[in-house]
Amino acid sequence: MPVVANDPEPTMLAKPAKGCAFGHHGELLQGVFEDDRGRLHRGLVTLPIDSLRSTAWIVLDGSGKLGVEPPSREKALRAAQLALAHLGYPSLGGRLKIESDIPVGHGYGSSTADVVASTRAVAAALGARFLPSTSSRLAVAAEVASDAIAFETEALLFAQREGVVLEHFGGSLPPFVLVGFKGDATAGVDTLELVPARYSPEEIQLFRVLRGMVGRSVRYQDAHLLGQAATMSARISQRHLPKPYFDVVVDIAAHHHAYGIQVAHSGSLFGLMLDAQSASRENIHTIIAALENRGFQDIGIFPINVEEGTHVL
Amino acid sequence: MSFDVDYFRALETPRLARLGPNVVAAAFPLMKLMPARFILDQAEKSGELKAGAHIVETTSGTFGMAVALLAAARGFHLTLVTAATLIDQAYQERLERLGAKVVALADEQGDGNQTGRLAHLRAVMENEPDTFWTRQYDSPGNWQSYARLAELFVRSMGQVDWLVGCIGTGGSLCGTGTFLRQVYPHLKIAAVDTHRSVLFGQPLGKRMLRGLGNSVLPANVRHHLVDEVHWVGAYAAYHSVHSLFRNQGIFMGPTSGAAALVGKWIGRTNPDSVVAVIMPDEGHRHANTVYDDKWLATLPGWPCTPVREPETLVAIEPRDEWEWTRFEWSRRLLDEVPQPIATS
Repeated sequence: MPVVANDPEPTMLAKPAKGCAFGHHGELLQGVFEDDRGRLHRGLVTLPIDSLRSTAWIVLDGSGKLGVEPPSREKALRAAQLALAHLGYPSLGGRLKIESDIPVGHGYGSSTADVVASTRAVAAALGARFLPSTSSRLAVAAEVASDAIAFETEALLFAQREGVVLEHFGGSLPPFVLVGFKGDATAGVDTLELVPARYSPEEIQLFRVLRGMVGRSVRYQDAHLLGQAATMSARISQRHLPKPYFDVVVDIAAHHHAYGIQVAHSGSLFGLMLDAQSASRENIHTIIAALENRGFQDIGIFPINVEEGTHVL
Repeated sequence: MSFDVDYFRALETPRLARLGPNVVAAAFPLMKLMPARFILDQAEKSGELKAGAHIVETTSGTFGMAVALLAAARGFHLTLVTAATLIDQAYQERLERLGAKVVALADEQGDGNQTGRLAHLRAVMENEPDTFWTRQYDSPGNWQSYARLAELFVRSMGQVDWLVGCIGTGGSLCGTGTFLRQVYPHLKIAAVDTHRSVLFGQPLGKRMLRGLGNSVLPANVRHHLVDEVHWVGAYAAYHSVHSLFRNQGIFMGPTSGAAALVGKWIGRTNPDSVVAVIMPDEGHRHANTVYDDKWLATLPGWPCTPVREPETLVAIEPRDEWEWTRFEWSRRLLDEVPQPIATS
């Protein structure tokens, strides 16, 4: 049982209990992958962004009715109910409040972050703690498909429709600096409305190679290799769910010697992956100017697994 | 009870051997299991291959052994059509012990009689409509299966700059190369062929080095992927495979010797590049020939001096078995390259 309960009786706290979860910047890799028995699963490698967060606050009571604020966060409410049931208190009620700085509908994983934060808040309110695998399963139950955000910065290949891990890569992603931006800031995407891509046998075989590259990039902390894999994954995605301006991004990446291009496979986000050692203030600003010049919006700089103070931003 | 165990997946997985500071070879026990298993898995999934059905293929080589192992373990009937000149008694008996029916046709021209073999195979299929032909020469499953090898290379080596491998059906080299070049567009590919094989424009003739080259042109050979071609003679390959065993303890078949010879040379001449070499099978089948001094002594022109580097050809032409030639193919199609007039 992946739950540590300190107190057999539910502790009714006047003070709200809190749970947090990261957002992400789409995926480094998304496709179809074999499990240990040779069966195929849709899977992805999430790129977590620890500076984008959703925070859930919960106060439990015996009313049996659970409300959420803002009321649009139905999946978070559903996740809180599932977490209560999982911990053995399906009849408790209370008030759930979501505060998030993650933009909705652009592929930042706002919905999964709300869901995971809610399950964590419920656990905290009951003096319990969920393993990432439990939070993930609850998240999938609450919103059909999910991402690996419950695992925080642990790099893994995650089957988003089943909520199971296909491969633990055995560490964190290698360090790099991500310059993120939107191709079309007006185009929000409802992830669940998308028809899943039907990959060809050749593409499914190519995903094996990309999975191997991500595995190697984590083991040897090789961001260059990770960038090559992410770029190929973005190219395959482009055949199935084309993003406008992809070719422009390819040109900018080549011109500024980025390690790779990363995308939200079902959103509007792009990211350029830069070497953490050589990404200076000047060359990042040159890239930002180039992106602004081509009309890209919401440009942000996200250091990924870079030590504080080692990057010049 | 759940075990992550698959015997054939393990048997198709190569051991990696370092042949030089920048050269790594995948040494396969039985490489052809990779395409055989992939093709049968796909056909079983799609329903094209029904339980207990009859499988046919035209092969005298290791693909036949791979299909025979799988057919035995999975309960299929198997007929392999080959030529009398291409199969030895011991190998035929081993296939038959696995339950395979081996049909060895006469081969008066000594070129493998592939035309006759295909005609025989088509006749079998006309009689039994449910027969499944694995089609290693033109099935996309052949080359697609080698994504597993590309994955093994990237997991162990990261970026690869050169890929060197033998070419017979084109599956392993063109498959691995197709996948690797998609992620490493700068990748260079060297195809290892042998004198008098038609694959890269030599006139058809008797090939002494078994398991390498071809007398017909399979669809899985994708010429436009290839940067350079090496034609390695049988004796050059024998010397190389002896050295591989004597100096590194790696016991492989002679075609692997040809690949190792070319791979090491490319590693020496491109010291800043990472070179991946494919070595397709082990030496056991050749213990009484290539690894037997008495057998070697019967060969005309043996012993000879091992050749250390290739001669670069300006025009494609066949040479003697001790010779090793190379040609800048430059990613051209077959009909874009000037070829000699057939003499046989």
